[in-house]
Amino acid sequence: MKEEQEEYSIIIKDVYKSFNVYYDKANTIKEKILFLFSRNKKEKRTVLEGINAKIKRGEVVALIGTNGSGKSTLLKLLTKIIYPNKGTIETRGKLTSLLELGAGFHPDFSGRENIYFNASIFGLTKKEIDRRLDDIIEFSELGKFIDNPVRTYSSGMYMRLAFSVAINVDADILLIDEILSVGDEHFQNKCFEKMLELKGEGKTMVFVTHSMGAVERLCDRTIWLSNGKIKLDGKTKEVVPKYIAETR
Amino acid sequence: MTSVFKNLYNYRELLKTNIKKEVRGKYKNSFLGVLWSFLNPLLQIVVYAIVFQLILKNPQENYAIFICCGLIPWTYFSSAISRSAFTMVENGNILKKVYFPREILPISIVTSETVNFLISTVIILGFVIFGGLGISKYIIFYPLVLLAQYLLLIAISFIVSSISVYIRDLQHLIGVALQLLFYAAPIVYSPEVIPPEYQWILTLNPMAYIINGYRDIFYYQTMPDITSIIGLIAISIVLCVIGYMIFNKLQKGFAEEL
Repeated sequence: MKEEQEEYSIIIKDVYKSFNVYYDKANTIKEKILFLFSRNKKEKRTVLEGINAKIKRGEVVALIGTNGSGKSTLLKLLTKIIYPNKGTIETRGKLTSLLELGAGFHPDFSGRENIYFNASIFGLTKKEIDRRLDDIIEFSELGKFIDNPVRTYSSGMYMRLAFSVAINVDADILLIDEILSVGDEHFQNKCFEKMLELKGEGKTMVFVTHSMGAVERLCDRTIWLSNGKIKLDGKTKEVVPKYIAETR
Repeated sequence: MTSVFKNLYNYRELLKTNIKKEVRGKYKNSFLGVLWSFLNPLLQIVVYAIVFQLILKNPQENYAIFICCGLIPWTYFSSAISRSAFTMVENGNILKKVYFPREILPISIVTSETVNFLISTVIILGFVIFGGLGISKYIIFYPLVLLAQYLLLIAISFIVSSISVYIRDLQHLIGVALQLLFYAAPIVYSPEVIPPEYQWILTLNPMAYIINGYRDIFYYQTMPDITSIIGLIAISIVLCVIGYMIFNKLQKGFAEEL
């Protein structure tokens, strides 16, 4: 039994997540006391209801669903930015999220220095960053701009640098939210190639995307979320046509 | 519990860059830079010396040295706590975006203030050397007192930084509480001037033991009260565990509260 468990990178067990939606948020003691007396200032919104999924090591999974179906929330739960109200999530191995690219970038520092800041947030040591530095710079195609302050970058350059760092962290599990909107077509294709390469290396990946073309090219398995529940979970070539048929 | 240390070890680079950023960032945009680490406490000592020695006629010998041994450790204590109260809100943006062990933030604040304190210790040394007291052999106990203060601060900063995410008022309350603690610690006066029936107040204030420790080492140049310091270290370790448990419970909601 134990050995069987080892195969999985991600185990999601009966996860519930709801958010309190405040119309007017009380942050101070005074407001908190006052709010005790006023009624229905907050509302509970359930985003995920009883999600169960096991993702094997090396599996590439797409999360699809319409806006507000809970895809991004599930991804955030996986990265441990937020925690479930009920249920457990277990992840095995080093995990990197490409949710918010460029978190921790400091605009006044050079691209090179920001590689160090950003990569250290992903849990890399200086030595590990040194070793990857050339790869990161090369992948970003920033060339001589790497030593300019990040505030002088265009938004495309910024995203390219951020993406290059995240992709070179060498994680076992990658969580990716709509990455294929990074940079121009040339860079997007390059990202795609990199994804395929990482897939070949046996990385576990979870994608959130609305691009069915990308899903079909990259992912073996697709999980369709609808109103916070798993509607369908199976092979991509079976799930995607049904999804398209329903949403069209 | 071991996983806590393992996690911190894995993220040691982030901890290191964060501490560096905090130390350098403090005086980044000021003309005199790190010099303020010296000037600030020095000017404060001048102010207190004028008020309490010249105006209020405090009879303490070498009053400037006396106050310096209390004020500099106090500044370390108070700025570490008040900055901890702001750290989560300040870093709200990044907390909402990526995962990293959240305890890195309060630990960086306390550690960077420790670095500042080490720099400021040069002022104490300057005072005792040029004030004619010299340095005693009891200076070997300085790291022990510092360890007690560091652990105490880590514990407090875990609690303060996590609670202030939920109750923003805490930032203001801390200002008042620190002011109260300042006068409830023997910083501007010596413990003997407190009437015996109120001495117990000092025994409740952990900073009183720490300041007495530093003062024994640098000012009185006698053996510091080792048993209290070791006791304080033991209590602080327990507080660190409790503080961490509170922190860990509260940190799960940070991204939603900020």
